[in-house]
Amino acid sequence: MNDDFRARARAWLAANAPRRDSGGDDGESGQATLADQKAFQAKLYDAGFAGITWPKEYGGQGLTGIEQIAWSQESRDYDLPNGAFFIGISMPGNTLVELGTEEQKKRYLPKMLRGEEIWCQLFSEPGAGSDVASLQTSAVRDGDSWVLNGQKVWTSGAQFSDFGAILARTDPTKPKHSGISMFIVNMHAPGVTVRPLKVATGHSPFNEVFFDNVRIPADALVGEENKGWDAAVVMLRHERIAIGMMGSSRTSPLGFESLRDLAAGLGRTSDQGVRRDLAELYARGRAMQLFATLLREETQAGRLPGARGSVAKLAGSELGRFAGSVAADVLGDQLAAFDSDEMYAVTTSIIAAPGSAIAGGTSEIQRNIIGERVLGLAKDPGVDRATPFNQLRVGTQRQN
Amino acid sequence: MALILTDEEQALAESVRKFVADRSPLTSLRHLISSGEPYDADVWKQMTAQLGLAGLTIPEEYGGVGAGTSALSVAETELGAGLVASPLLACVLAAEVLVRSSDDAAKVEFLPRIAGGEVIATLALASRAGGHVTATDDGAGPGVTLTGSISPVLNGTDASVLLVPADTADGIGIFIVDGSAAGLTRTRLTAVDHSRSLARIQLSGTPARALAGDAVAALAAASDVANLALASESAGAMKACLDMTSEYARIRVAFGQPIGAFQAVKHRLADMEKSWELGYAALRDAARAGDADPGRFSVAASVARVLLAGAYADAAVDTVQLHGGIGFTWEHDAHLYYKNGLSNKVLLGGPGDQLDRLADSLGI
Repeated sequence: MNDDFRARARAWLAANAPRRDSGGDDGESGQATLADQKAFQAKLYDAGFAGITWPKEYGGQGLTGIEQIAWSQESRDYDLPNGAFFIGISMPGNTLVELGTEEQKKRYLPKMLRGEEIWCQLFSEPGAGSDVASLQTSAVRDGDSWVLNGQKVWTSGAQFSDFGAILARTDPTKPKHSGISMFIVNMHAPGVTVRPLKVATGHSPFNEVFFDNVRIPADALVGEENKGWDAAVVMLRHERIAIGMMGSSRTSPLGFESLRDLAAGLGRTSDQGVRRDLAELYARGRAMQLFATLLREETQAGRLPGARGSVAKLAGSELGRFAGSVAADVLGDQLAAFDSDEMYAVTTSIIAAPGSAIAGGTSEIQRNIIGERVLGLAKDPGVDRATPFNQLRVGTQRQN
Repeated sequence: MALILTDEEQALAESVRKFVADRSPLTSLRHLISSGEPYDADVWKQMTAQLGLAGLTIPEEYGGVGAGTSALSVAETELGAGLVASPLLACVLAAEVLVRSSDDAAKVEFLPRIAGGEVIATLALASRAGGHVTATDDGAGPGVTLTGSISPVLNGTDASVLLVPADTADGIGIFIVDGSAAGLTRTRLTAVDHSRSLARIQLSGTPARALAGDAVAALAAASDVANLALASESAGAMKACLDMTSEYARIRVAFGQPIGAFQAVKHRLADMEKSWELGYAALRDAARAGDADPGRFSVAASVARVLLAGAYADAAVDTVQLHGGIGFTWEHDAHLYYKNGLSNKVLLGGPGDQLDRLADSLGI
C-alpha cells in the first residue's frame, strides 16, 4: 500500500514537477507566478497528493504518516512550484484540522488544498517577538463582530494571501497568556495594509501588516475566546515541525552536493580542512533528515514528537549556519566579490543563513522549549506571568 | 526499513539494560579499578552464555545468533550506558574478520568458541601512529613469522587468539597468532578509560598462520563494525550523561531556583539533547543499513561515529561542568564517562581519520 503510494508519487512527480536547480536559499518563493502556483496546487490536489493526512471530508486524502513520509522523500529533489501554500497548509491548515469548528473546516480547508485560497500567519509584532504573548494588537467585540487594530511583522506571503490566522488581545486586564484569542481574518478586508520588509539579503521575503479598524465576524474565532494562546501553541508546534522537516534539498546552494561540486570547481578539494568540513556537512545534513524520519515514524507509531519538533528546528538552523561557514571556507577570497549568478546564489545563501535561527522562533527560544518540555527543567522565572497585561512593560515601550 | 526499534529489539534492549543494572552497575567498574582486573569474568560469562552477545553478528552455522548489526547496536548502546567493562568489542571485531574471510577451517575452529564465550579473540587494529607488523615467509613451513609492534590493542593481554594485520610482499594480510606463541610480548597499558583493557603487542619472529581471503575487505568491514559499535556505546553513554545531568539540574538549587531554570545551564543541556537526538537517528540508520543495505553501511557507520564520538566527548565534559565541583571528584561518576568519552573518540580511528575516510567515500 505504501509502496503503491510511493510508486504513484514517484511517477507523478517525474511527469509533472520540475527538478530542482540551484537558486538562492533565502526564503523567497521561486520564480513561478502566483497563477502558476495555484494551477500546480490544483493539479497536486486532483492527483491526490494534497492534504495527505487530512480527513477526506475536508478535502484531504485520509492517509497516514507513512504516506506523508514517502511523499516527503520522493518530492525532495523536485522544486514544487507551490511554495505560496506551504505556510497556510502546514500551519493555519493543520491548526484548523485540530481546533476549527465544523463550519470553518468545511469552508476553508478544501479551498486551501485545491489552491484556491492562500493563507498567512500573523503572530509576531514589533514589540512581541520571542515573547509573542506580549502582543498588543487588539480585538474588541462590537455587536456581532470584532474590531481589529494593530501591527504585525515578519509575515511571509501576506502580499498575496487571502486569509490569515491572527492572534489579538481580547482582554488586557488578564495576565498576558490569558487574554489572547485567535481569529481568521480576511486579508482583503477594508483597513488591512500590507507593506514589504527588506532584509539583509536585499530581498523582501516578508511583510509588515497594519490593521486599522478591521471588522471580522464573530464566527471567525478559532477555539475559545481568550484561549488563543493554546491555539498558538498548537500552531507553533506545527510550524517547528514543518520548518524542521523542510530540510535542505540536495541541490540547494549550501547543500552538500552543491558545495562539493563548487569546491571541486575551485580546486579546493585537495585541502584537508575543506575535505573534512564537507564530510562533516554531509554527516550533519544526513542526521537532520534521519531525525525527521525518526520523528515521523514515532508519530506513526503513536508517540507524538511534542516539543522535540524544537530539536529539529534548532538543528536545522545550526546546520544552515554551519553550511554557511563551510561555503565561506570553500570560497576563500572569492566570497568577497564576484560577477557570476552562481556565486550570487551562494553568497546570498550565506548571508541569509543566520535568518533561520531567528525566523519561526529563535534558537534561544527553542533551547528553552527543549530544556523545559523535553528535559523537564524548571521554567524561566517568568516574572510577568501573573501580572495583568495592561500593567506590564512590553517590547521597547512602556504600556499603560 | 524503519529506524525505530522493533518489538524484538526493544525486548533485547530491556534485557541488556536490566542485566547491566543488576550485574554490572557502575560500582562494579570501581571494583575493577581497585582490583586491577580488566573485566569481571562472571559478568562476561553471563553476557555470552546467557545473553549470547558475543554471537549476535556470528552466523548460526558457526554457532552464533545471526541477529545482525542492528541487534549488536542495541546491545552495545545499553552496555555503553553502563560503562560495562568486557572483551565484547574485541571479540566482535575478531569475529567480523573471520566471518569475512574465506578460511573455513579458521571459522569452524574459532567462531563457535567466540560466540560461546570460551575464547577471547581480538583484532590488532590501530592507527599508523600505533606501529605496524611485517610478515616474513621463510618457506620452511605452512606458516610465517611476524615482527613488529602495535598499540593500543583491545584486550590484547586477555585474548587467547589474536588476529594481526601485517605487511607482506603481496600487500596486507591477516594472521592468526596464538596467545602463547613464542616471541609474543603483551604489555597491559594504562588505559585512560577505566572500562577498557588495552595492550601493546610486540612480535619478534612470532609464528603465525595466514587467514585466507581478502584481507583489505575484511579489515574495512571490521572498521565499519567498529564504528557502529563505538557509536552505539557512545550513544548509550551520552544518554546516561544527559539523564544524569538533567536530573541534577532539576534538583540542585542555587540562587533560590533549580539550576535548570537558568539559561546558562538549560541551553547547554538543550544542545546536548539536540546532539544526542541527531546522533541517535544516524546510529539507527547505520544499524539498519548493516543488515538491510550493506552497500550503504560504511558511510552510514562513519556518519554515526563522527557525530556521536564528538558529541559524547563534549557531553561528558559538560556533565563535569554542570555538576560543578562535585562533578570533578573521584567519587562522582562523571569522570568515568569523561574518560570513556575521550577514549571512544579516538579508538580505532579518531574524528580526523573518520572524516578523511568519509570524504573518500563521498567522492570529495
